[in-house]
Amino acid sequence: MAVQQLRKSAGARWKIERRPDVSTGRQFVAILLALGVSFVVSAVLIAVAGASVGRAAVAALHGAFGDLRAIAETLLQATPILFTGLAVTVAFRARLFSIGAEGQFFAGAMGAVWVCMLVGDRLPSAVLIPLVVVAGLVGGGIWGAIPGLLKAKYDASEIIVTVMLNFVIFFFLAFLLGDAWRDPSSFYYQTPRMPAAAQFPELIPGMRLHWGFVLALACAAMVYVFLWKTAWGYEIRAVGINAEAARYKGISIPKVTVVAMAVSGAIAGLAGASEVPGLHQRLVLDLSSGFGFTGIIIAMLGRLHPLGVVPAAILFGASVTGISAMQIAVNVPVAINQAIQGVILIFLLMADVLVRYRVRRTNPRV
Amino acid sequence: MSSLWEAAFITSLLAGMLRMATPILFAALGELIAERAGILNLGVEGMMLTGALTGFLVAHATGSLWLGTVSALATGGLLGLFMAFMAAQLKVDQILVGLALNLLAVGGTTYAYRLAFKDVGAKNPSTIATFETLNIPLLSKIPFIGEVLFSQHLLTYIALVLVPATYFLLYRTKYGLELRGIGDNPRAVDMRGINNIRRQVLAVTFGGMMAGLGGAFLTLAATGLFVPEVSAGRGWIAIAVVIFGNWRPQWILIGALLFGLVESIQLSLQAVGVKVAHEFLLGLPYLLTIVALVFNRSRSQSPLALGIPYHRESR
Repeated sequence: MAVQQLRKSAGARWKIERRPDVSTGRQFVAILLALGVSFVVSAVLIAVAGASVGRAAVAALHGAFGDLRAIAETLLQATPILFTGLAVTVAFRARLFSIGAEGQFFAGAMGAVWVCMLVGDRLPSAVLIPLVVVAGLVGGGIWGAIPGLLKAKYDASEIIVTVMLNFVIFFFLAFLLGDAWRDPSSFYYQTPRMPAAAQFPELIPGMRLHWGFVLALACAAMVYVFLWKTAWGYEIRAVGINAEAARYKGISIPKVTVVAMAVSGAIAGLAGASEVPGLHQRLVLDLSSGFGFTGIIIAMLGRLHPLGVVPAAILFGASVTGISAMQIAVNVPVAINQAIQGVILIFLLMADVLVRYRVRRTNPRV
Repeated sequence: MSSLWEAAFITSLLAGMLRMATPILFAALGELIAERAGILNLGVEGMMLTGALTGFLVAHATGSLWLGTVSALATGGLLGLFMAFMAAQLKVDQILVGLALNLLAVGGTTYAYRLAFKDVGAKNPSTIATFETLNIPLLSKIPFIGEVLFSQHLLTYIALVLVPATYFLLYRTKYGLELRGIGDNPRAVDMRGINNIRRQVLAVTFGGMMAGLGGAFLTLAATGLFVPEVSAGRGWIAIAVVIFGNWRPQWILIGALLFGLVESIQLSLQAVGVKVAHEFLLGLPYLLTIVALVFNRSRSQSPLALGIPYHRESR
């Protein structure tokens, strides 16, 4: 599949064409290239702020990996985006461009809090925590299934519907926090604290890292099994590779659409049902710093594979803790984090073009 | 509530609707042109935000609001050009480029703003004098209608004029026909010897310029100050409005006015201190967009090849 033809001199012709298949090694090169260029851009941004790049780098590395506490914080930051990265992986594997992880995250968090409101603090942890997790799965799953159903039944673009649903649930949450769910004793838009029995235990005593991270790792393993070892997972990947061929083979595309979107939503919902009982213990409006969107970058960086998504999420978790340490040390605005995320994605897409295409000399007489 | 007070309230509500609809209308008409050329630009929010910041920074530094407006137009256009290069030339996934641009713009503008105004706290941000409203002679003196329609910013009038202009371009010129052709059936247009890529690049660059202009309206006409993420989702609203309007300029105007009205109601109610569930109201238009998407599907005007990269030699 050549994209473009360049004519060089009268005889020889050069073609830029798509490689028939891209080896794992080349994909790895693309990732390294993108990360490398992004580090350079980050260094330039830090230098523009008038800070010493060397000192900033040392502070960031120390802040992200310096001691056990730093590593625990990095893994804590990696937890929600590992979930959302896995969620995006499932949808993208079916070539469904869901941008809805952000909204499904909130739906999961709302499910988790709602179930606590229903049962109160009568239940022991051993019952309540699984209940909270399931509520998160269901909440996110429903919010993911809606765009799946609309796509399957009415061919409504999942891209647009998920974007809209992100806003709908956000304003719905704001509506609830403004009145029905509001903590009456608080000035802020927030729910009361969850019962203590619903809170995830600490993973390392005295640190904020909680069992949600282990849940996320388990989820990564389950996503691998789901996508590569089950019939539904096989169908999802088949539709993603070639929907037409999959249809001829007898795979129901509407079914795959709904399943992939619902599973993707449920995983994103888990992110909410881990972040609230693990860290915040209550619903607030700024629960997410764009976890759903970061999840897209992590899924792309991880090459839509759990084995890639886990290190990508930890890398991004490290960038969050590293940059906040950097801000304290050399006073660089923390907004640099989002800018760098955008830069990484852009260069990753560009590097993909570099490794996916080749320049070939073709026979001048053809 | 006296009737005089009610009339004043409704006047300010409707005038506010037009004002709040302006940035959305600019961005939505630009997005319409880009989508008609087959490119789904999800980076509108980022382009708007970048326009808002550059417009503000240039106006703050030079004291010229028009210089600010022009630079917002230019930076929006540059981002559009980049988006077009990635999407039309390199055929990279359009959704991902758009999202990446948004992240870059949110982080980049906040970063740049914090650096530019290091000593200014959040309590007292730097402000500039905004554009004055332009009272059209005689017409603005008409009671009620004059205040609503003819006492707006010049940029608002420009946005309104762009609605029939866009309609004319798309449906009454050969160029518009070809542009719609690229969005519906790129191969057919390509076979007529028209350079698809160049047209797409032009269309998306125009879309970026309009988004930048919409952003400039926010900082240079509506508020006079920049705060991080000042665009507050209006770029996404513009994308919603294009769908809500079923890709037709006249209905896009209606959609922009609807979103503008919702914002205006929220602001007015806040101003008079009425407590209602305005969050519910704010979420409603997004829900309506989904409904419109589903209900319009049999008569959808959506470009057929929207978001699908055109590879010349594949079939």
